[in-house]
Parts: sequence; C-alpha cells; structure tokens
Amino acid sequence: MNKKAWIKDMKAVPFLLPFFIAYLIFTILPIFKGLQMSLYDWNLVKKMDFVGLENYVDMIKDPFFWQTLWNTTLFVILTTPTMVLLALGLALLANLNTKLKTFFRGSFFLPSILSVAVISFLAIFMLQPYSGLVNTVIQAIGIEAEPFWMADKTLAWVSIVGVTLWWSVGFNMILFLTSLQEIPDTYYEASEIDGATRWEQFRYITLPQLIPIGRVIILLQILASYKVFAQILLITGGGPGGATRPLIQYIYEVGFTQNNLGYAATMSYALFFILLILSIIQLKNQRLEEN
Amino acid sequence: MASITSSKSRKALDRNRDPLLKVKVTIGVIVAIVFIVPIIWMLFVSIKPDGFSTSNPIAWFLPPYTISNYVTIIMDSLILRWLFNSFFVALVTTILTLAITSLAAFAISQMKFRFKNFIFIFFLLGLMIPGEATIIPLYEIVKSMNLIDSYAGLILPMIASPLGVIILKSFFDGVPKEVIESAIIDGCSYFKLFYKIVLPLAKPAMAAIGIFTFIGSWNNFLWPYLSILSETLYTLPVGLPVFNSTYSQAYVLPMTANAIASIPVIIAFLIFEKQIVKGISFTGIKG
Repeated sequence: MNKKAWIKDMKAVPFLLPFFIAYLIFTILPIFKGLQMSLYDWNLVKKMDFVGLENYVDMIKDPFFWQTLWNTTLFVILTTPTMVLLALGLALLANLNTKLKTFFRGSFFLPSILSVAVISFLAIFMLQPYSGLVNTVIQAIGIEAEPFWMADKTLAWVSIVGVTLWWSVGFNMILFLTSLQEIPDTYYEASEIDGATRWEQFRYITLPQLIPIGRVIILLQILASYKVFAQILLITGGGPGGATRPLIQYIYEVGFTQNNLGYAATMSYALFFILLILSIIQLKNQRLEEN
Repeated sequence: MASITSSKSRKALDRNRDPLLKVKVTIGVIVAIVFIVPIIWMLFVSIKPDGFSTSNPIAWFLPPYTISNYVTIIMDSLILRWLFNSFFVALVTTILTLAITSLAAFAISQMKFRFKNFIFIFFLLGLMIPGEATIIPLYEIVKSMNLIDSYAGLILPMIASPLGVIILKSFFDGVPKEVIESAIIDGCSYFKLFYKIVLPLAKPAMAAIGIFTFIGSWNNFLWPYLSILSETLYTLPVGLPVFNSTYSQAYVLPMTANAIASIPVIIAFLIFEKQIVKGISFTGIKG
C-alpha cells in the first residue's frame, strides 16, 4: 500500500517540479532573504554586519520614508476614485447602441498597450512649456497661460494622475463593459413596460448590477496604484523637490544609489505588509463574489 | 407589409428609448479622439523633417513628410536591438510560463498524490506576494546565481505565475471525467493525456494567460531597470528613456524611436483586439 502511494506520488513529481522550483527560488525565497537583509547593514560590495532592528528604528525616524509613503498613498487616493468613475463612464459610452461601439472600445483601450516609456515620453513633450501640444492647444482656444506642468507641485500631480488615467483606464473599462453586457435585456424591457425612465433604469438596474465588479475594480486599482513607480520616475523624476517621489523610487535610490541594500530591504518589508493586507482583503472579497 | 411596419415601429421605439443617444455618441467621439490624438500625433511627428518645431498644433499634422528619421534611427541607434530583446524576452517568458503552469495545474487537477491540498494552498499563497516589494532580495538572489545582466536573469524570475496555475486548474477541472477515464483505460500515460487531450481543450485559457504574460513582460519596467546593465541587453521600456534623454529640445528623432517601439504593438492590438478584450474579462474576473 505504502509503496503504491509512493509510486503515485512519483508520477506527479515531473509535472510539479519545474513550477515548484521556480516558485520556490523567485517568489518564496525572497521573502526570507528580505527579512535577513533587513537585519543587516548590507551593501553591494562587502556585506554582513548584523544590526538587529536598527534599520527598522531608522525607518520610523526617517522623514523621507514617511514622505514617500505619503506620496504613494496620495497617488492611490487621487487615482482610485477618478479611475473607477472614468472607467464606468467610458464603459457606458462603449456600450451605446451605435456602430461606433468598437471604435470607442478600441480608442479607450489603445493607450494601455503602449510601453510606459512611450507614454511618459509623450507626456513630457506634450506638456512642455512653449512648444508642447497641450499648451499650444490651450492658447489656440484663447486661454492666455503658459503653465509649467513639471515645475509646480500641484500641476506635477495633475500631470501624473492625468497621464495615468489616460494610459491605464482601458483595463478597468473592459471589466465594466463585460459586466454591462451580461445584464439581461429582459430587465430593461420589463422596466420599460412599468414606465421607468432612463435615469431610473440606470439607477435601479444598471448600477446595482455593476456593484460586484465595481468592488473588484476598486481593490485591484488600490493594489496597482500602491506599486506606482515607472511613470513618476520617467515623467517628473519624483520632483519638483521630491514632491511626487513614490516609495518604490526611494527604495531604489537607497538600495542602488546610496548602496544601502539592508535599509532598502527594510522599507520593502513595510511595503510588503501594506500590499499583503490589501491583497488579503481583495481575495476575501473575490471569494465573497464567487459564492 | 407587416414586417415593414414592425421594423419601423421597432426603430421608433429605439429612438424613444434614448432621446439623448446622439448627444452621447458625440461625447463618445470627442473622448475617443482625445484618447488617440497623442498616439496619432506621435506618428505624424515621426515623419516630419528632423529639427522641425512649431507653435501651431495643426502644423504637426501637415506635410512635408519624410521617412528619413526611420532610416536614421534604425541605422544609428540600438532601438531595433531593444525591440528584439523585448520581443524575445516576452516570447520566452510566455512559453515557459505556459509550460510550467499548465504542467503543475494538470497534476493538481487530474492526478492523485499525497499533500496535494497542501501544495495547492502553498501555490495560492503566491497570489498575495507582491513582486515589487521583494525586488531587493530578488536582486541579491539573482546576483548570487550570476544571472544579473543576462536574458536568463530577465526571464526566469517572471515565470512562476500562481494565477496561471489557478486559472488553468479550474479549466482542467471542467474536462469531462469520462474523457479522462476512457483515456486511462486505453493505457494512455499521464503525459500523453495532458498533451494530447487536456491541453487542446484548454486553448482559451492558455490564450488568455499567454496574452497577459506577454503584455506584462513587454511592459515590465522595474525588474529590467534593476537587473540589466549593458546597453545591448536593454528592453524597450528601459532603453527608450535612455535614448530620449539624449535629446532635450528636439522632438522628431526621439518621437520616431517611440513610434518604432509602438507600431508593432499597435498592429498586434488591431489584429488581436477581440482576444485581448476576452482575455481581460476572463482573467480580471477570475482573479
């Protein structure tokens, strides 16, 4: 009996092993390695000086850690509601009863397939003072202004959020659109017989049907926004004066510019726990939806 | 006659249904144009003569046109090399991801062995581990394997996708029991069962995961930014900003580089739009 079970186990091994090894080395091991590094004064060349919890104490006292964590959180606060509402609006447009449907869907989604390098570069040149497309359009419609989009803290945030919305709203739009198309026509037909207005149909049929996917989108968006890095690095470089620098950029700079990998790993752990809690909430919610 | 009136009244009903349809379609057209204008602008700038600059937004879209920028970029820069790197890395990542996740998902779905539930839960944990937050220790691990600044170092850390295993497992679970049992009675080995019977049935799920892995790898920024040091191994997202930063005021040549980087994906998108849209609703809802 035991031998038979063993033979059965062995048959599964070649199927499981390739994934198992890659998963173990590149997904699980970094968690433990990160814990180890965070307890050491660890740099790129000569490593290893056990410092206990010193890095964690430093982190709590580090104003740049709190500033960049706040910047990342601000990005989450600014992008989540705008992204969800815009996605909903675009999905409603792409669901209109018109021949232009596919054109709408394609146009709203097209920016999301472009590389972050391309969209950031487009943003920089479109937002440039004196010659950028945005400023020339602003002046062409008669507004006498020459905004310096990257030099002012508020404008820099507006630029980053605007570009992020334009770039990545398409994904959420598709999720809303799929849900919209799954609402049975009979719901609308029945309500029409009852004399419901368009607004009442939207308020009492469409919106309630979109709540489950809406919840998924909000949580996925919060998770994604907490990982923000590339477009900020490439558009504002974290400026002006660190006002838009996100946590991941600071972690990168501490690790690779200041050569302090131990402290970078410590701050990564902070980010790890924030994201872990968010994804547990997200998975719980998803399980709730499935049941 | 009856059918004509009914189709007429049907049309009338449609019009009654939404008196604002025309207004909404107009809004849709304006928004759609706002979304694609930057991309179209990029394509037009890329065919303007080198050094062109104007404060009139319309002038960007008017002739004269030239393709000499494309020649310059292709001959004098590493853009094509980076394009190849991005494509190669994305392709190999996708193939390896599909291979190892489908094998693992098959074992968990169709085979009997001890600790199966434990192993599956262990894989599920991966869904909660954010790669961005373990990137510093990952760098040390890949460095100790001597894989920093190599294709293997770019590809291998990205292939163990727990989401892929979960989606494929639920797909494999749906394969009819009778199909599996009759194959086993016929003396079919597990590998043959996997390769000849189960895998072909899972094509839609494989396509969805494949598209996602490919796009994810194509756009991956943080990991190549950390792990690649040589210019010849850059992928586009890492190489383009380096190239762009050598031009501060000139639009045309860097815009051509961006256009070259984007045209293949735009064409791929136009061809595969349906599958991409399906893939998003599929994976988005599943997880």
